[in-house]
Amino acid sequence: MRLKNKSRTKTAEARKQRLLSLLQKHGLGIYEDLDQGKFPQFVIPSRSVNNIVYDKKLRQYILGSASSVRSARNMSQLRSYTQLAWLAFFVNRLVREGKSSTLRDIYYSSQAFSIDFEDQPESDNIIVDLEAVLSSPREEFHIFPEERSSVFGDLTIEYTVPGYEGKRMNLSDHPDGYLIGPSLSSAELVDTSAELVIAIEKGGLFTRFVEENVHKKFKAIIVDTAGQAPRSTRNLLRRLNTELGLPVVILADGDVYGEHIAMVIKSGSANAAHLRELTVPDAKWLGVWATDIEKYKLPTIPMTEADIKRIYDLQKDPRYQEGIWKKQLEVFLKIKRKAELEAFSKYGLTNITDKYLPAKLEESKSL
Amino acid sequence: MSSSKEVFSQISPSEFFYRNRDLAGFSNPTRSLYTSVREFVENALDACDQKRILPDIHLSIKAVDFEQPDPKHYILTVKDNGPGIDPKHIPLAFGTVLYGSKFGLKQARGMFGLGATMAILYGQITTNKPVTVRSSADGKTLDEFVMLLDIQKNKPVISKHSTKEVSKTGLSVSIVLEGDYSKAGTKIRDYVSQTSLITPYASITFEDPTGEKFHYPRIVKEMPPPPTVIKPHPHGVDVETLRRMIVDTHYQIPVIDNKMIEKVRKELGMQRKNPSPKDILDRADKRWSDLSRPVRTVIAVMSFLNIDFEGLRKIRIDDLDVANKKITYWDFGESQSHIIELNPESPYYKQLANTIQGETLLTFLTKRFQRVGPTTTEKFCEFAKFKPEKRIGSMTNEELVRLADALQKFDEFLAPDPSCLAPLGEEPLSKGIMKFFNPEFATVIQRSASAYSGFPFIVEMGIAYGGDIPPSGLKVYRFANRIPLLYDEGSDVVLKVVNETDWSRYKVKGDPPLVIVSHICSTRVPYKTVGKENVADRPELERELKNALQYLARKLAAHMSRQGMADMAKKRSNLYTKYVPLIAQFSMELAGKKKEPNYKQLIRMGSEIEEQI
Repeated sequence: MRLKNKSRTKTAEARKQRLLSLLQKHGLGIYEDLDQGKFPQFVIPSRSVNNIVYDKKLRQYILGSASSVRSARNMSQLRSYTQLAWLAFFVNRLVREGKSSTLRDIYYSSQAFSIDFEDQPESDNIIVDLEAVLSSPREEFHIFPEERSSVFGDLTIEYTVPGYEGKRMNLSDHPDGYLIGPSLSSAELVDTSAELVIAIEKGGLFTRFVEENVHKKFKAIIVDTAGQAPRSTRNLLRRLNTELGLPVVILADGDVYGEHIAMVIKSGSANAAHLRELTVPDAKWLGVWATDIEKYKLPTIPMTEADIKRIYDLQKDPRYQEGIWKKQLEVFLKIKRKAELEAFSKYGLTNITDKYLPAKLEESKSL
Repeated sequence: MSSSKEVFSQISPSEFFYRNRDLAGFSNPTRSLYTSVREFVENALDACDQKRILPDIHLSIKAVDFEQPDPKHYILTVKDNGPGIDPKHIPLAFGTVLYGSKFGLKQARGMFGLGATMAILYGQITTNKPVTVRSSADGKTLDEFVMLLDIQKNKPVISKHSTKEVSKTGLSVSIVLEGDYSKAGTKIRDYVSQTSLITPYASITFEDPTGEKFHYPRIVKEMPPPPTVIKPHPHGVDVETLRRMIVDTHYQIPVIDNKMIEKVRKELGMQRKNPSPKDILDRADKRWSDLSRPVRTVIAVMSFLNIDFEGLRKIRIDDLDVANKKITYWDFGESQSHIIELNPESPYYKQLANTIQGETLLTFLTKRFQRVGPTTTEKFCEFAKFKPEKRIGSMTNEELVRLADALQKFDEFLAPDPSCLAPLGEEPLSKGIMKFFNPEFATVIQRSASAYSGFPFIVEMGIAYGGDIPPSGLKVYRFANRIPLLYDEGSDVVLKVVNETDWSRYKVKGDPPLVIVSHICSTRVPYKTVGKENVADRPELERELKNALQYLARKLAAHMSRQGMADMAKKRSNLYTKYVPLIAQFSMELAGKKKEPNYKQLIRMGSEIEEQI
């Protein structure tokens, strides 16, 4: 049993206060500018390709020092400036009232304030602008995408959402797992007996792992990433790692996309270079490795042109220049075949949990 | 073991087409109805064009029994005010396949006029009803023929012929055929309306089976200049065409019959006696300059065979192969064929050679091809390694192939003569587009003539934007030789060029109310399939289309930016009045203030910025 740590339990609340004061600071700045007859402006870190660099210390992509100014003086920026100011105003309300919304909601909500977004991509873009201005992920603004993934295992959380404040819950009570939604994302992580987090790419295998008691056998919390892990899921994995000190391992399909799913959990994506706290730099990629395909004699399917092109693309990425990451890409390119996680079913439904997982966990200790 | 015997029999052209009707667009009742409409309407328009009559076309489709479900029998009638057809020719023109007047080299809608007969044939096959043709060529009498086609014999069977008095010329053809109007209707209506767009000098009326009338009045009163018939371009001929051209140009071997022998005797003045071969040759020598060409040829043959007039009566000349110096003849007395060698030194050999070998290459090229002069010919001969004096009739098969090949490859021939083309012209096209689409903006261009593989072509294109055009995305109207192309849009070269255009460069966004009208005129449009609905992507053609489209798109972009500037100015005014109060409201709540900031000054400054622009 891990001990509850008082200073740690209030992290969610602390982040909320930090955001609210940041919003107020920006609000005051604008207010004073207007009062003094000055045109207000936002300074937005540039997200152009030239300004995205890989930080070896942080082990993730970050934005460089370039930034752009969006000013209310400039006639062609006035509209998008107003949109950004509106979003800050709207997020302030959401966070204060403890309400959540989706990307689509934002697009429609704007219409009540005669802020005319032409389409949803335009409003999505403004959300990313605000993320960059405040360097906080949109999940902290209580804005969530539609995609959701799930978590299961012995983990006690304490809600902070209105109506549930202080209520506790154990995430091993429901065998289908718990949706990683707004309330789970904003909950405090209180207590766990687990010693490991297993992130798995596919819902089907997540269910199998629960059925096979992987959480008990390996003292694990199991997370279904449902493909490329959404940001709220990556944030939860990070919190499990940093707040509770649990190591994170990743199981994904044996192809170039699976390898990259693991990499994004470990070190983020270029798309989210303006954000921190979404990565688990010490996460380990368990498999399925290209070398596993042969070693475990898995049934395979041939790679497509797109698969092979993707390998060449990733070989240019600085994160794939060494170690297992580099080696597996080379082997994939050599065998030009791929295997899904389900391929283990050829040797029986429980082969993956009985044989493969223990073997790979053992192997990962030396990584 | 069983023995099998193959039976070879000739089939008539009608039977050939009957067996291969899919090729000509008669594969099912839907397609057949559409194809029949096309063939008759195009024939009517072509006939009027040729005689420079402003066309007045009436098309009607009526169901034999309206209550029946499709496919069913329809009566298709197309009537024009064209020149009509001489009653003598009507049975052959409509009752046989491959009887046409369109074999010259100039632009026309149909190629040989086969399609109309195919439609008649199809109608007869599916309904067993005769075709009715009413025609007046003199504007006084109208001849009506009711007839069937004898498919095996490829000849017409007239069941009724009557005449009556009329006051104007014209032709009307009416057939009964199996069709499916419920499916073909959209295409037929599209076809008629698009035809009226590309033929703005025609008046077209269409009455459909439901009794609905579509009338497209004449928009322009002037017809475009007519095309002229021209000689072929060297790049446009293959070996077979070349062979046919050569046969047409050189003298034939005279047929040796009693009449010819009489002629020889008469010219030599040896009508009564039966002279020896030597006497004959001596006399010929004396009178040589007075002798006619065929007689000289006969004398030359007699010299080689060493025969007199009696001997001449017993033979038939089968082949004179001057290139290989051989003469082949049939001896009736011995009932067998002989080949003898010709002595090239003999003066008679030269005579034979001149007769059989025909023109020199120099004369042949300059006289039989368009835009080829003596200088070009000499350059060509050097290129092809032929002597300009080489007689075309003396060429062996290999040499002919080499010649055809060189004609294709030599790139110093002048571009093909475009006078055989009949583009619509910028003004009629523009008027047609304005009337048809009623756009906010339209412009057209006619490119100068270009050529592919020796076939000249001209691209005409128009673009129209806004107005009555629905904002449902770019639509392309394709035409070739004034025919709308409706099927197989996807693989067409015009579509390819349009799709490869980056429209955002021309300030066109989203689903614009945009129409492109493309018209390709050529003596031979490079269709991809026999269905003649999509044009292949020849590089020369693609380039012309691209240039035309770019020109039009630039004009459109200029229009759009004029339009865009006006819109922008409107949008810009009062921007600050709209947004600054909103910003104030948002910042007040964010900052946790109770009172709005004083932003009046900013709105004033904003208005000043707006005025500066």
